[in-house]
Amino acid sequence: MSKQIQHIDFRDQIARNKRNSVFLLIIVFLVLIGIGYIIGKVINADFFIFMSLFSVFSILYIWLSYYYSSNIALWSVGAKEADKTKYRQLYNIVEGLTIGSGLPMPKIYVMQEESINAFATGRNPKQSVVCVTTGSLDKLSKDELEGVLAHELSHIRNYDIRFITIVAVVVGLISIIAQMFLRSLWYGGMSGRDNSNNNGKSDALLIVIGIVLAIIAPIVVKLVQLAISRKREYMADAGSVEITRYPKGLIGALEKIKNDKKPIKVSQAVAPLFISDPAKQRFFNLFQTHPPVEERIKVLKAM
Amino acid sequence: MSIIIWILIAVIVLILFIALGYFNRFAVLVNRIENSQSQIDVQLKKRADLVPNLVETVKGYTKHEKGIMFSVTDARRALLGARTFRDRVKAGNQLQEALKSIIAIGENYPQLRASENFKQLQEELASIEDKIAYARQFYNDSILEYDNLRSTFPGIFFASIYGRKDLPYLKIEEAEKKVVKVKFE
Repeated sequence: MSKQIQHIDFRDQIARNKRNSVFLLIIVFLVLIGIGYIIGKVINADFFIFMSLFSVFSILYIWLSYYYSSNIALWSVGAKEADKTKYRQLYNIVEGLTIGSGLPMPKIYVMQEESINAFATGRNPKQSVVCVTTGSLDKLSKDELEGVLAHELSHIRNYDIRFITIVAVVVGLISIIAQMFLRSLWYGGMSGRDNSNNNGKSDALLIVIGIVLAIIAPIVVKLVQLAISRKREYMADAGSVEITRYPKGLIGALEKIKNDKKPIKVSQAVAPLFISDPAKQRFFNLFQTHPPVEERIKVLKAM
Repeated sequence: MSIIIWILIAVIVLILFIALGYFNRFAVLVNRIENSQSQIDVQLKKRADLVPNLVETVKGYTKHEKGIMFSVTDARRALLGARTFRDRVKAGNQLQEALKSIIAIGENYPQLRASENFKQLQEELASIEDKIAYARQFYNDSILEYDNLRSTFPGIFFASIYGRKDLPYLKIEEAEKKVVKVKFE
């Protein structure tokens, strides 16, 4: 019976992820248009031309992030597709897990990196990629590696990959825009100082709105991303055990991850994709992307 | 009067939709069960295909182990000749046991153990065993879901309409294991 409940649970999660992905893309579109509006006002461009250009850009961007976000994510961490003969055991393990979970075979990527970590990406199970570090292959036993890979496959099954990957790319872009925006305001403010103040009031208002937006937007996106990704990790841990029926494998892997202190240098935007926080933040803070490893081990041991 | 007719039509349409939903759900589950069955078959076939290569590799090093070679080729023949799915699974298990004892014997010959071909066969054999275990697990999970759907309301009602029968779980029988042991003593 509990099994039945779990199944319903992950179907809810799938529906939620699909819905959230659509919402996110719509919100991104609106935010982009809003930012475009403000930029247009500040730089005093021809309103109609500027807005149409910006809309085209926004739609193009959203289209790209839907279809190519996984490629962007893989490229940004420098992962390469794994060789089938060299990584035979890795392919065999993943194939076994796909048989056990009824998922299609994902592509497998390897990233040259000493510490133990892995992530999954893609827009749906058929177009999915699992990526592991060479450190995981060297340091984990077969059972532990199986636990980690099954965790990634549950992210794929739950459609977490779609949502998280889009979030990753969106966060990346919004922080770039915010940076550009703050900088242009700074320079704009310097040069605009000796202007006459015939429309100074509305300019000042726009600048204030702009600054608030530039500061708030990344934080909002970040908080959204974090709030959701912790629950995802617990669900994917549970899903991993559901596939392997062997919690000790994943527990062993998490123990090793816990003792592995070396951080990976990747952009903050892709951090939530990984099985454990690549930055290895030890203290609790608002921007923690993953639940503490100790907590996850405790939950797994109670299963 | 017309309101009642509209309500009736709405109810009928609703029931039709539910009936369709259940029809599809059953079809999907049965497909999944059949698919995991054929997945097991694929892996069993791969296991059988491994035999000639393994025998060839091991033969050169182990001159005095003729008996075990025969039992492996016998088990392979039994697997390839098995008609029903259940027999194939059973024969597959016997073949696995026979292959395991060949590997165990091979471990005693350092030169063989060091050979790349032997290592690869060992990995292949282990992965096939894993994959069969996973396919079995998925088969049984799918049956469980099918049973749950079939035995709860309103699924129980639609199951009888669509003639969805009881499907068996795959069990590892104690008897099979014993047969294998007797064979290699």
